Amino acid sequence: MRFRRFLAPFIANPVLLVLVGLVVLFSLLYPQRFLTGLNLTTILKQFVTLTLFALGPSMVVVMGSLDLSYVGIWMLGGILVWLLAPTLGPWAILIFPLLGLGTGLFIGVIHAKGKMPSFILTLCLLVVYWGLTAILSRGYSRAVKGYEFITAPLVPYIPTAFLWSLPLIGGAVYLMARTRIGLYLYAIGSNEEGAQLAGIPVTKYKIIAFALSGLFTGLGTIILFQHLGGSVPVELNLKNVVWPLVAIVLGGTPLVGGSGGPQRTIIGALTFSVFYRGLYLSLLHPEILQLLVGVLLIVSIIVGARGIKGVEIT
Amino acid sequence: MRGNVLSRAWVRRNAGTLWPLLVAFAIVLGFQIANPAFLRYEGFITLIYAMSYFLIAACGLTFVIMMGSFDFAVPSVLKLAALLCVMYIGRFGFFAIPLALLVSLGIGALNGVLLAYLRVPSFMATLGVSIVVEGIALYLSKGFLHIMYDERFRALATTFLLGLPAIFYWAIGIWALSTFLAICTPFGRRTYAIGGNLIAARLSGINVERQRILVFALSGFLAGVAGVLYMAQLGGGSMLIGSDMSIPLFASVVAGGTALSGGTGGPHRTLLGVIIITWMQSGMLMLALGRDMQMVIFGLIAVAVAVATMDRKRIRVVK
Amino acid sequence: MESTVPVLEVQDVAKTFDGVVRALDGVSIAVYQGEIVGVVGENGAGKSTLMKILAGVYAPDRGALFLGGKKVPFPRNPKEAARWGISIVYQERGVIPHLRVYEFLFLGHEEKYRGPFGLRRVEMRKEARAILDEFHVACDTESFMYELPLATQKMVEIARAVLGIRLESEGRAVAPVIILDEPTAPLTLEERKDLFASILRMKGRASFIFVSHIIPEIMEFVDRVYVLRDGKLVAHYDFSKDVVTEEDLFRAIVGRESLAYALGAEESTATSEIVLQAEGLTRNGAYYDVSFVLHRGECLGLFGPAGSGKSEVVRTLAGILSFDGGRLRVKGQEVHSHEPPYIRLTRGIGYCSGESGRELFFQWSIAKNISIVNLEKVLYPHLPVIRFRREETMAKSIAEKLGIKAPSVHTDCYSLSGGNKQKVSMGKWLERSPDILLLEDPTIGIDVGAREDIYRVLFEMKRRGIALVLASDDPKEYALLCDRILVMRKGRVERTVEAKEFREMAVV
Repeated sequence: MRFRRFLAPFIANPVLLVLVGLVVLFSLLYPQRFLTGLNLTTILKQFVTLTLFALGPSMVVVMGSLDLSYVGIWMLGGILVWLLAPTLGPWAILIFPLLGLGTGLFIGVIHAKGKMPSFILTLCLLVVYWGLTAILSRGYSRAVKGYEFITAPLVPYIPTAFLWSLPLIGGAVYLMARTRIGLYLYAIGSNEEGAQLAGIPVTKYKIIAFALSGLFTGLGTIILFQHLGGSVPVELNLKNVVWPLVAIVLGGTPLVGGSGGPQRTIIGALTFSVFYRGLYLSLLHPEILQLLVGVLLIVSIIVGARGIKGVEIT
Repeated sequence: MRGNVLSRAWVRRNAGTLWPLLVAFAIVLGFQIANPAFLRYEGFITLIYAMSYFLIAACGLTFVIMMGSFDFAVPSVLKLAALLCVMYIGRFGFFAIPLALLVSLGIGALNGVLLAYLRVPSFMATLGVSIVVEGIALYLSKGFLHIMYDERFRALATTFLLGLPAIFYWAIGIWALSTFLAICTPFGRRTYAIGGNLIAARLSGINVERQRILVFALSGFLAGVAGVLYMAQLGGGSMLIGSDMSIPLFASVVAGGTALSGGTGGPHRTLLGVIIITWMQSGMLMLALGRDMQMVIFGLIAVAVAVATMDRKRIRVVK
Repeated sequence: MESTVPVLEVQDVAKTFDGVVRALDGVSIAVYQGEIVGVVGENGAGKSTLMKILAGVYAPDRGALFLGGKKVPFPRNPKEAARWGISIVYQERGVIPHLRVYEFLFLGHEEKYRGPFGLRRVEMRKEARAILDEFHVACDTESFMYELPLATQKMVEIARAVLGIRLESEGRAVAPVIILDEPTAPLTLEERKDLFASILRMKGRASFIFVSHIIPEIMEFVDRVYVLRDGKLVAHYDFSKDVVTEEDLFRAIVGRESLAYALGAEESTATSEIVLQAEGLTRNGAYYDVSFVLHRGECLGLFGPAGSGKSEVVRTLAGILSFDGGRLRVKGQEVHSHEPPYIRLTRGIGYCSGESGRELFFQWSIAKNISIVNLEKVLYPHLPVIRFRREETMAKSIAEKLGIKAPSVHTDCYSLSGGNKQKVSMGKWLERSPDILLLEDPTIGIDVGAREDIYRVLFEMKRRGIALVLASDDPKEYALLCDRILVMRKGRVERTVEAKEFREMAVV
């Protein structure tokens, strides 16, 4: 009986088993290198990056839609901070949440009212932001000084960005697990027509979901901006777009919606970070690494995104 | 059906074809005013080069969108096919071409299998596959620029006939074949049927699974053809080939009148969309608007045309 | 009934759509405390319009609503309807599978449970437990909805409807009236029994309006029944006073006076060649041990009330559903259970439904819709290319034969009337001429003239040697078309009736 209770979370979240398995495997494979403070710090850093990108979108995925705009918000926001920092001073960093919220609202309205598939809509928007970033920065990566305090070390071995991200993670988990908004998003993801029949204003909550996703991404990018070096690249790196998706799906939020959520995404992000770090230690080719990540994405999607029986997929 | 041309009903019926034409006309006029060199012969040839490979790839994507699905992997398959060609033509000679085409076909078919039998939504399946394909391309090319030294191979695209490069004839030929395939064959009918009404398509005795695989295989194959010819046209390339064509490609298919909701449009429409988009592209280059500005403009255009063409009445739930 | 004042009464309701379609015309019904009232009728008889008016989805053109004897305006939206004590449980898509039971119970009514730290879940759970106990629903409040059996899901939905009324009425004493819109449609035969038992236990707490067209259920289960036909109230039976048989009810539901039965039943065209043979065919929860043979040129009717398994048998033959037991042979060949429709079609089995949304591509022309199942005929020999001239002549001859009224065969099917749409889908199968054609409600919702044309087509099909299998709601259709009829009830074949015998039965 005690044993079964101990097992229950693993049965509910099989990815936890994978996580434990990976940690054990890599600790055995690289006894000298894996369980070192430096390595664990690196894993945590990777975890922060993935989590902060994936936190907002995972709320949208719960609803059965997709939001790929996060990297765009990060890039464009970074350049806007660079542009506005001379006039606004340190307050310029607040451009991130504002941009995120605005983007989310825009996506929500176009998706919910115009009935455009969210995947393609947010992809287009991502490209638009990328272009704007390149135009505004005139083609150079621009560093902004003055926000180093965000990542200034506080506790040994634990990245400060991780500490900063804890309230954000808590907020997202709380929002989805405890409040009415979260409940409605699960309902819409599970059965949109049923939610409509139950009297939920579906269009409104779809817009709210995208706005929240944008807002959380915006807040997260405040931390990420400094965490990832205090500047943003001008070129879009597809891995930044795809890895958070892997974290979401790997954590156990199926793309058809209705279950999972931010609390699962954290586990997914941690598992992915451990997996990646372990592969990295194995000194494989970086190209092979990318290949393996792609395969991991496909496999996790096949497991997580398979259509429910009776629902036609396209 | 024939009725009064220019009557209101006629305009409404043909709105899908009319407005791209009007837009094309306006764009040409606009660039004409902005840059009188726009329609000169040299400019025209550049335009033809920009348009041709694009049209071939767009034809494949059109079939997929007609069927109500989406293929995100077209640009990366194009890239892989181009790189395979340039890297193996020295070793295998012209057999590198069928090799590249076979690989493209296989990747397309894999997309189809993921959708049809493993029931993964096509946009996610093709996104995943495209990442793997990018990875393979990077692994093979090691990220270097590869130059094509085989002049016979380059002649496939760059020989001039009647004042136009060969790749133009390839593209027009493939476009005509695709149009024929879509309109005049059972294959096309089945594709439209699946996009138009999936349940009725099943009950009409269509093997939906097989058709989906075939259409995705066709899309992959045409992306491969586009990649091979594009490589012949360029004479060399790196990972940058096709790297920012996905949005313009999607925009050109949808702007032509093939709605994302499926069941409408077709390759014949896509020609118009490709003309509009590539003309805008070259026009913007002439106005010294860089790639970045193009991305912004095409991204917004893609959203606008997709929302404008979407059949909102028929589709109940959009994710 | 204890009380003489009905808890809910509507008088003389009328509703017209688009100024022409008369959906309801002067209908009055009453519901007393603790009663289960049936509202029956065919599709399109107006029962769902009436229910939507009560639930606040539509506004009626005229009529009056009385609640507990007091005249009130009609509700303007579902929330207002709930405030006054009326709530509806939809036929399908009402359940949200990934919510926990208590979350689903309170969905849309969370205002009361909003605390400073999010929703007060402990309280919600406790109240959910209380209400589930009150309604004798045996399930854990922590389970997900999808984990529950379908009948229990329905029960939770009903409890949710009552709860919604209580929460919305804010303590005022309202007598809840729950509208159940064909609640048994997605259930298996076994689950239906459970559901009825549970609803009967809830009778004291609420009154029910039970919308259905499954006659045995109505007979067994309701206190009184109103019969709607073509938007009018045509009959009202009180089962405690009136002696009513299933046949009476059937006739009241279907009995169209005007139907053209001038068409005499024709000579039998059945031959001795067996094209289809079913032995002990079983699909758990839908039908059991169904055996029959079908001859070339014969029409076999599967007759029985809705829910008797007849449409499931037809869909199994079509390849839409699979079967769990028994054997099926088509033209002597054993057939696999999980074959999709396209393989069945290559074996010679076509399926034609009266629902045009499952048959037609509305944005396509008539000609394309006819040729989609006849592509082999319009292709060039040895070349997979469509001959448009051939396609057009084929469509023209079909359109002429069936009297399809359209400007040309290139007209989109969007713009056709219901009868003409049905003729198009019938026409494509006539052209295809499969060995066996399965018909499910082939004349549903279409007018008399079009019906006659469709019967003529079916006669011609029989003469051509096509074997037909019919499942429909109209007994006269069976009398007219069928050579043999399997009478089904609760998933089993009760007996086989010859056409002549059935005709005598049905005409009475």
